[in-house]
Amino acid sequence: MMKNSQAIYVEDLTKIYTPRRKPPVHAVNGISFTVECGTIFGLLGPNGAGKSTTIKVLTTLTPPTSGKAYVNGFNCIEQPLETRKSLAVVLQQNAFEQFMSVLNNLRTYAQFHHIPRKEANKRITAVLDQFGLYDDRHTHAIDLSGGMRRRLQVAKAFLSGKPVIFLDEATTGLDPINRRTTLQAIQQQASQGTTIILTTHVLDEAEELCDRLVIINEGNIIAEGDVPAIKRLGTPAYSMQLTFKTTGNELREYLKQLNPLHFKFNNTLIDITLQRTHQEILKIIQELNRSYGLVHFEVHSADLEDVFIDLLSQTSEERA
Amino acid sequence: MKSIFAVVYREYLLRITSLTWLFFDLFMPLIYLLIFGIGFDRALADGIMMEGQLIPYNEFFLGGILAMTSFGIGMNTSYGFFMDRDNGIFYEQLTYPMTRGEFLLGKVLFNCFISTVAAVIALGLGSWLLGITILFVYLPVVFIGIIVGTAGWFFFLMIFALRIRRNDMYNTIINLLYFIMLFASSLFYPLDLLPSWLRTTALLNPVTWQADFLRYFTIGIGDLSQVLVQSLYFIGFLAVSFYVGIVTIRKIS
Repeated sequence: MMKNSQAIYVEDLTKIYTPRRKPPVHAVNGISFTVECGTIFGLLGPNGAGKSTTIKVLTTLTPPTSGKAYVNGFNCIEQPLETRKSLAVVLQQNAFEQFMSVLNNLRTYAQFHHIPRKEANKRITAVLDQFGLYDDRHTHAIDLSGGMRRRLQVAKAFLSGKPVIFLDEATTGLDPINRRTTLQAIQQQASQGTTIILTTHVLDEAEELCDRLVIINEGNIIAEGDVPAIKRLGTPAYSMQLTFKTTGNELREYLKQLNPLHFKFNNTLIDITLQRTHQEILKIIQELNRSYGLVHFEVHSADLEDVFIDLLSQTSEERA
Repeated sequence: MKSIFAVVYREYLLRITSLTWLFFDLFMPLIYLLIFGIGFDRALADGIMMEGQLIPYNEFFLGGILAMTSFGIGMNTSYGFFMDRDNGIFYEQLTYPMTRGEFLLGKVLFNCFISTVAAVIALGLGSWLLGITILFVYLPVVFIGIIVGTAGWFFFLMIFALRIRRNDMYNTIINLLYFIMLFASSLFYPLDLLPSWLRTTALLNPVTWQADFLRYFTIGIGDLSQVLVQSLYFIGFLAVSFYVGIVTIRKIS
């Protein structure tokens, strides 16, 4: 049962597409999850995992085949209009009025979201500044660069002032500086109480932003929790930077027989990622020090990307 | 109401960014009447026979031109739909806080407004420049015909814009529709002298139903009982197009 503190409630959600003359596609297979109000929630998964379909159901773009979906307390299937009044969305594809100026894009969006004119003008000025679009406010959207178009889309969603915002691959195509600005804007928006549902392929972005994550593969949830909890689900992996006095074939052969996930040999400097427990890693370092003259080492636990790949391969193996 | 106004406002902003588009919507019917109409009026100097009366071609053509206004605006909006779908804004609009009905109603209202303005221009300047005698007493009925006609063409042509994915296929089909529906109708010529296959096709064509209605109520030529039956057919066509349009919107989203 949905609680008041939850912005999203999904129970046993299934979506099966039945294209003509083709077998049915099970895009989402009975997934369930909840999102607490005012948090940033990550929906992760490879291409075709079912993330965008889940967002389409939650934003009332498509009805589910079965299951329950609520946004801000409203049933997405039975109360589509009330649901839409609670949300704003940045879809995966570019969606803007090509032949309107940036300003008119924002004005029409404000009109559609029933924001009074005075308030709309205030918010428009704020998002133009926040997303670095002020100088281009009179430029037609079609003349903007790809990154600026994406920023315009995110700016529109933040202009709406809705309690729930869906960002489907919102930072795709942004350069590092604009990506950073957008990520900061997302964090700022969440700190003001907005619930943000984020789908992304950039896993360090999810790691940095998300309070909770769900990893979907082939329409099923394969992992759920906060970032440390998800990391614990994967087989432990550590990446190491090792520096030796001298290196030779013997050392190379020794490291190769450890079956590294990643291995880069550059004179006396070696980058290597191993799937081992931390006790095993310590033993390997002792052995390297004793037998090969280790001068310096740095060890990091694997990032979310390694865990993500590991979890996906685990589920593929289980299925096989 | 706010949502309907927002759709109208968006359509207005789009039109004013393209004066060519606006010009086409508002003045094309008049230009057709002045160039095509005058040309044929001179070529058929004796006029054309209809319902046992000889009437100048310009007068005959006026009703057709008004029907063409509705069709042309419906076609332009259909292209707008196709572009909106192609660039993704259409899907975003479906997530805005409004019903699908409000979304379509806003678009239809704006189109009806534009077609009414285009009809006023064509009727006003047409009667003044070409000396066409118009039955002013029936003008409200004429405008109802234009508004209902525009709505019918809007929903009908929208279906193609929402169902066809390829740009080249969409252009081909819309051009074919334009060619067949306008020429296999009573828009450019009376049906009496046509071969039976073309006459039958034209009688089944909603463009004929609308053109005959508008012709009767602008210049008083035609068979009233047939015009009334054709109006009922057109209302049926509008209802079916509306229903299929709504189903299509739900399906493609």
